Amino acid sequence: MNEITESQDQRSAAVSLRGISKLFDDVTAVDSVDLDIGDSEFFALLGPSGCGKTTTLRMIAGLEIPSAGSLQIFGEEVGSLPPNKRPVNTVFQNYALFPHMSVADNVAFGLKMRKIPKSEISTRVHEAISLVRMTGMEDRRPNQLSGGQQQRVALARALVNRPKVLLLDEPLAALDLKLRQEMQFELKQLQREVGITFVFVTHDQEEALALSDRIGVMNDGRLLQVGTPEEMYDAPIDRFVADFIGRSNFLNGTLESAEVVCLANGQRIRVPQVDAVSVGDEVQVSLRPERVMIGDLDSAPHDSAQLSGTVETETFLGNSVVYRVALDWMTIEVEADHRPDVERYHAGDRVDLWWRDDAVAVVRP
Amino acid sequence: MKLGAAELKREREERRRGFFLALPSFAYMVLFFALPLVIVLIYSFATRTSTGSTALSDWNFDAYRKLGEPIVRNVVVRSVVLAVITTVICLVVAYPFAWFCAHQRPTVRNVLLIAVMIPFWTNFLVRNYAWRILLSKGGPISTFTEAIGLGEVDILFTKTAVVIGLVYAYLPFMILPLYASIDRLDQRLVEAGRDLYGSGPQTFRRIILPLTMPGVIAGSILVFVPSMGAYVTPELLGGGKETMLGSYIVTQFLTARNWPVGASLSFVLMAVMLVSTVVYFRSGGRNL
Repeated sequence: MNEITESQDQRSAAVSLRGISKLFDDVTAVDSVDLDIGDSEFFALLGPSGCGKTTTLRMIAGLEIPSAGSLQIFGEEVGSLPPNKRPVNTVFQNYALFPHMSVADNVAFGLKMRKIPKSEISTRVHEAISLVRMTGMEDRRPNQLSGGQQQRVALARALVNRPKVLLLDEPLAALDLKLRQEMQFELKQLQREVGITFVFVTHDQEEALALSDRIGVMNDGRLLQVGTPEEMYDAPIDRFVADFIGRSNFLNGTLESAEVVCLANGQRIRVPQVDAVSVGDEVQVSLRPERVMIGDLDSAPHDSAQLSGTVETETFLGNSVVYRVALDWMTIEVEADHRPDVERYHAGDRVDLWWRDDAVAVVRP
Repeated sequence: MKLGAAELKREREERRRGFFLALPSFAYMVLFFALPLVIVLIYSFATRTSTGSTALSDWNFDAYRKLGEPIVRNVVVRSVVLAVITTVICLVVAYPFAWFCAHQRPTVRNVLLIAVMIPFWTNFLVRNYAWRILLSKGGPISTFTEAIGLGEVDILFTKTAVVIGLVYAYLPFMILPLYASIDRLDQRLVEAGRDLYGSGPQTFRRIILPLTMPGVIAGSILVFVPSMGAYVTPELLGGGKETMLGSYIVTQFLTARNWPVGASLSFVLMAVMLVSTVVYFRSGGRNL
């Protein structure tokens, strides 16, 4: 990377991690992560539990000190500063509202700690509470609030401080499905309204896709890929990413040239060009079930990649049907729309499978 | 309807079984606790005869009136002061230790908590005599301070010695409830306090202390109450010069042979403790 662009990147980044690692008693929780999160970006750190995403967030918050690397917030090195000296606030998992204080006192806490004048505190608290539509609940205690209301208070308590970056640790995990979907929408709207950087940690891929401008997928302490939701879904570069975001079939093969993969059965298919792997590498071709077409034997168009096999099982899902199609060298999952004009197949049927060349992604195995 | 009757019968049976199981401890408490207490109460209204015996007639409030006299008031004030000092020292010493314990790995924590309880394996009286040797002129502590040039320490039979002995005796009663409430404290609340610009001391005062107040209150009661009525420690380490309530009551019964006064003082002490404990718990309970 060119040095000038790198320094420019750093200047515009709200949060910038360079070679950040965290060890807990010789266990590497976060392994040399490089990441730039832009100003006013809604960024999701996505990964399974124990992947290091929460530790990364806690390092940005100052609740953990990195073992190695540089951590900057708007160009200022903060790696070793305590949490109260950083321009960030956190919405904790399960909210961590102070049980011995009213809603208003919870929200006012940060301002009181910073010795903001009383009159200003009361206007800002009032604003923050109305921002999250909790007006009228000021005197309630946290245990008198529903999960969604507690979530809103936690947001107000953080946002009232006008942090440069808001950190959210699994903010919606504790809510039931319906409420979670509502809050997703509200959270997105809130972020647009206040216009600050949101960094949120989640294990829920749908939530990450629905909310964020960009997603970073982590596994085993490493940041595997960063990109927009579409990039992550359409062009994963790592098998783990392709598997974690959505479902996928993985076809073993070798990258023969920039745009050709030789599959394990000897068949050659055209693939979109990728940078993450080089010619000659063992790769996998990620093929999303809903991007595979299914039809009668010999019905595949001649200009696209195709495979023939036998339907092994069919699972009806309402809006779609999932077929498991056995080839002689592997089994492929296919998701076909369930509509009157789409042919329905049954176990034992011989079928052709095909897809457009640009429907697949080449990933590191 | 039939089912309802069977249900009622079952419930009644279970209640009766519970009662029978509790009967032995119930009988024990009535026989050795409630009954003697009633006797103490009766004696407090009795009359002391000129020969020093107690006449169970002419019921009156004389014994209670005597409690207002300066000599009793002095003993009460001294007891309260020493008990308060003891409680405060215990609190200040125990809190950091309990905090430290609660933040250790389970094995380390168990070892530390057992260590807190080890002194109980030795008889209380023996431990008080041990302190007498430690604190005496020419004892180990005095020898040490003399050796490093701080001069002789002669604190046996002083208020200081009594407080040292009381703190030593009741510190575990402060540590254990504090530990329990610190252990229960949600660490994320502390982190939230720090995240919301609270410095260490601010977070302690606004978040940690209020949320561990049940432990502070319970520990304070457990230290204050026995300190108020302490008998052995003030006798042995105070040398009888620093008379506290416990000693005074004993004197009334055994030396002065004024049973009504001893009984009335015991009773008032108990009643005051009971009322203040209830009030304390009530007010503490509401903050949570």
